[in-house]
Amino acid sequence: MSRITKSHLPFDHHTIDLLNATDDELVEIANSLGLGLNLQELRAVRDRYMLMERRATDVELQTYDQTWSEHCFHKTFKGVIETPDGVVDGMLKSYLGRVVSELDPPWCFSVFEDNAGIVDLDDEHAVAIKVETHNHPSAIEPFGGAATGLGGVIRDILGVWADPIACTDVLCFGPLDYPYEKLPEGVKHPSYIFSGVVDGIGSYGNSIGIPTVNGAVYFDEDYTGNVVVYAGCIGLLRKDRYIRNVKAGDLVVLTGGRTGLDGIHGVTFASAELTEESEEVSRPAVQIANPIEEEKIKRAIKQISEERLGSGITDLGGGGLSCAVCELADRYGLGAEVKLERVPLKAVEMAPWEIWISESQERMCLAVPAENLDRVLQIFEDEQVEANEIGRFTGGNSVKVEFMGERVAELDLEFLFNPPRIQRSISWKPPVLEEPSFPIPDDLGETLKRLLAAPNIASKEVVVRRYDHEVKGGTIVKPLQGWNAGPSDGAVLKPLDHSWRGVTVACGMNPRYGKIHPYWMAASALDEAIRNSVALGGRRIAILDNFTWGNPEYEDRLGGLVLASKACYDIARVYGTPFISGKDSLYNESPVGPVAPTLLITALGIVPDVRKTVTMDLKEKGSSLYIVGETKRELGGSEYYRLGGYLGASVPRLEPEKTIEAYRRLTKAMDEGFIRACHDLSEGGLGVAAAEMAFTGGLGLELDISYLPTEGRPRDDLALFSESNGRLLVEVTDRKASAFEKNMEGTVFAKMGEILGDRFIVSRGGEVLIDESLTALIAAWKTPLGGSR
Amino acid sequence: MIFNATVFVRLKSGYSDPEGETTAKALQGLGYNVTDVRSSKAYEITLEAKSREEAEEAVDEMCRRLLTNPTKDDYRFELREGQ
Amino acid sequence: MRRSDIRVLLMRAPGTNCDAETVRAFQDLGVQPRLLHSQRVFRERNLLDYDILFLPGGFSYGDYVRSGAIWAKECEYRIGSEMEEFVESGRPVIGVCNGFQVLVETGFLPGFEGRAKVPQAALGNSTHGYQCRWIRLKKVNKGACAILSGVPEDEILRYPVAHGEGRFILPPDRRDEYLRRLYENDQLLFRYAREDGSFAEGNWPENPNGAFHDIAGICNPEGNVVGLMPHPERAYFGYLMPQWSREEQPSEYGDGRYFFESVVRYVERKF
Repeated sequence: MSRITKSHLPFDHHTIDLLNATDDELVEIANSLGLGLNLQELRAVRDRYMLMERRATDVELQTYDQTWSEHCFHKTFKGVIETPDGVVDGMLKSYLGRVVSELDPPWCFSVFEDNAGIVDLDDEHAVAIKVETHNHPSAIEPFGGAATGLGGVIRDILGVWADPIACTDVLCFGPLDYPYEKLPEGVKHPSYIFSGVVDGIGSYGNSIGIPTVNGAVYFDEDYTGNVVVYAGCIGLLRKDRYIRNVKAGDLVVLTGGRTGLDGIHGVTFASAELTEESEEVSRPAVQIANPIEEEKIKRAIKQISEERLGSGITDLGGGGLSCAVCELADRYGLGAEVKLERVPLKAVEMAPWEIWISESQERMCLAVPAENLDRVLQIFEDEQVEANEIGRFTGGNSVKVEFMGERVAELDLEFLFNPPRIQRSISWKPPVLEEPSFPIPDDLGETLKRLLAAPNIASKEVVVRRYDHEVKGGTIVKPLQGWNAGPSDGAVLKPLDHSWRGVTVACGMNPRYGKIHPYWMAASALDEAIRNSVALGGRRIAILDNFTWGNPEYEDRLGGLVLASKACYDIARVYGTPFISGKDSLYNESPVGPVAPTLLITALGIVPDVRKTVTMDLKEKGSSLYIVGETKRELGGSEYYRLGGYLGASVPRLEPEKTIEAYRRLTKAMDEGFIRACHDLSEGGLGVAAAEMAFTGGLGLELDISYLPTEGRPRDDLALFSESNGRLLVEVTDRKASAFEKNMEGTVFAKMGEILGDRFIVSRGGEVLIDESLTALIAAWKTPLGGSR
Repeated sequence: MIFNATVFVRLKSGYSDPEGETTAKALQGLGYNVTDVRSSKAYEITLEAKSREEAEEAVDEMCRRLLTNPTKDDYRFELREGQ
Repeated sequence: MRRSDIRVLLMRAPGTNCDAETVRAFQDLGVQPRLLHSQRVFRERNLLDYDILFLPGGFSYGDYVRSGAIWAKECEYRIGSEMEEFVESGRPVIGVCNGFQVLVETGFLPGFEGRAKVPQAALGNSTHGYQCRWIRLKKVNKGACAILSGVPEDEILRYPVAHGEGRFILPPDRRDEYLRRLYENDQLLFRYAREDGSFAEGNWPENPNGAFHDIAGICNPEGNVVGLMPHPERAYFGYLMPQWSREEQPSEYGDGRYFFESVVRYVERKF
């Protein structure tokens, strides 16, 4: 006899008898309700209901399913992990979150507790930032998946009362020339996913009028079945408008688009592997984006914030109303009563559980004191947005859900937010890899051009121009620098009308290093993000982590994840750069295999005066080019090795103490006005970075690599294209050279050459290694993906 | 009387059609041997009118007034009596 | 009139998004910009209280149907006669990007014989899809557009464009006739140009959208209704220009300042 019984209520509602249910029965219940709960969790639910001596309702079980999903609760990062070096009591607490609690910087306004991380901008203002993953939906429906990903992260920013001022996007695809015949059933071709994702992000960001100012596009075979879409948003708020003061009696107001059958079980889907059938089965989990609806909501919320009418706010994302209402109530130690028949619907008939967990887009939930309700509803009406009071916050610690006068759920929040912790163990063995051996190429100029044309280095103009990066008139350093549209290290924004204070936005990511060693991959990503920020003049840097990983139930994948998290702690602690927010996406597995372990670090820095910002283009004939940092023979995972089809083993490492000291000196040198141009060395190393600076500035450059500070004596090609961390190139005018050198004393740096002529020349001593025209270099860089010339 | 109209709007010939071209590329990307795609927009309109003539006139006016810009768009529509 | 008394109405619709930078530009010039939802203007019928009407860029109503079309027909239906009266009084009406699309869709531009019942031009799909890039422009007006008399003719202006539908086109069967009239009435305002000052002649990326005759902006025969695709408001301050960091002493203002300064000066003197 089935344990699931249809109620005698005039709508679709079921109760479930959990009394003494066996494991098999629990699994059967989960399957027939479409729940993703594991056995440990199902048992906990059963025990709970046996204790309460009542049947469960479908609304309740669906709520546990949503709240306890990997997507919503991050149970892997909160779980207990046994490692050969001891037990890790939650990676979030032990590694990522620990940096901020140890450093405790006074400028961190709100970290890891709200929809976004918030740091001070000045006395009055703060900046909020959040980066989200939207991988699974984008694999199934690239346009809609990517667009709604961006829509979701913008709502996270609205969800801390901030006004969105910029977006970021980091995208990873399989190779665009991937052979069709190799594609397994159910996997879409990378070029199709690429155009869909790029269009989806453009359509949303452009329509809602928020500039997309920073990002990256990365190609690797391991993304063929698992596209990676990171979407970020930055917002500005006045600190005295950041109101979190919900009291019993305040009303629950739901606003935005109507609730429909679209996006039921999105989080369950996001927390599972993609299979051949995912395409058909998961379509309903994908949303149709309506950026104009969100634009209207944005205006209304700004006004409500201005008038200080709300007492709390959150967005509706994964888990829909269920997560929004329960989290909001729990955050303030309250309960709530919700009347689901007041939720305006798209579909005529929806079961209460469907209304409760639907993830229809463009919706927000506000807590509003009763006396402010009329004004709040008026503001929404003025912006032509639907808004309804659907319940109220109460004392106690439970959420009661009603539909047409009948109680359909009563959820104890204490139980809901303390799911059983997962316990796992790991094993990670370094892969057996070796360093390739090959002769030095005859023509290093040709090699440089091939590197400039490599998909991960070549100009991403074709993507960047699809996004409005100028709207709102605050983008001081743009993603494409100058008329030659060179690659900026990040963006600089000027958020306030009456202040020159600005923020830097930059990122770092090195997925290929992860195939060699996850620890150094993470260390490198973190250093790259900080390095990019430093190149722009950023300081007081806060960072965000976004992990995209394979199935953590495999010991090796989880082992890599623990190593990467540990690196995050080790490096960030020394750098003094706290994590303030993060988001992970696990279970990225497809018929092609697991995703390349990918950690994106996003860095948000401050510049006291945007007018002192430095860009990466060479500025002035006669000035000198210096390198900061040491070059080692570290080409494992490099783009240079990839050209020859190698991975290698010598992954770039990092000495954080030395590196951060050099960065501090550089920042000081910028403040003193010593530096005219600055560019970070990343994919393609010195050769590529120097070429980019030259052709962006339209000025010739002569470098002599016998001056390059190196460890040992690497071969010329290896010295030119090594990807050692902690290195930057800086242009210094002659007048400032001695002051600059004095300022850098004690760090590893050297003058390498001069800005002169109209060619790009690299030599060792008297021997010319590379002699290329700027036109040839820029053509090599711009042509592969399509540029303006 | 209730009428159902389906209005098709497309670019006059001679104008480039980026949406069509992009879609063609996307279909090619999915492995189809597509040589050309022209995009057009369809609107399904339900309206009330006293007679077929009146309905036709109204739909035609809608096309001229909002649904097309005669500088670049062609349109045609089908009208059915119905529900 | 006194500059500080000049009232600018920036009208917005759901999806309008270039309002912040436009307000900032007008504020910097010391006039009074007011940003109002068009529903409110429809309700209060207060358009004629203002001295300048500015329709900013964005994606009004998602640019469904056609860019700017829904907002245009709504304005036409609700306040068409006030808009006509506003235009006839000689006060400046400016549409940038989506605002330009609205002025074309409402028939105010090119408006050969006053407002046309049916659009006489269109801003169609750009040849290279949506593009956000800086372009160069030359002002080609001989003087009919008095409100922009302060914009220099000999200088190349650098403004950004950011649109997917901005390709200026005329009806194929009347193209030559309309172009002749644009010239005869001195209605051409801005054309896309190369770095050396020659016209782009349809070449991408200098002409970013494939616009007919490199047309980036036009005015009505009376010269007080102006529409253009590029964004002067995003080039208003010096630090917004694409190569400001190359200058040893970057200038405080960018090329967009001429545009706004000229409009404000015109109103200051004329009214």
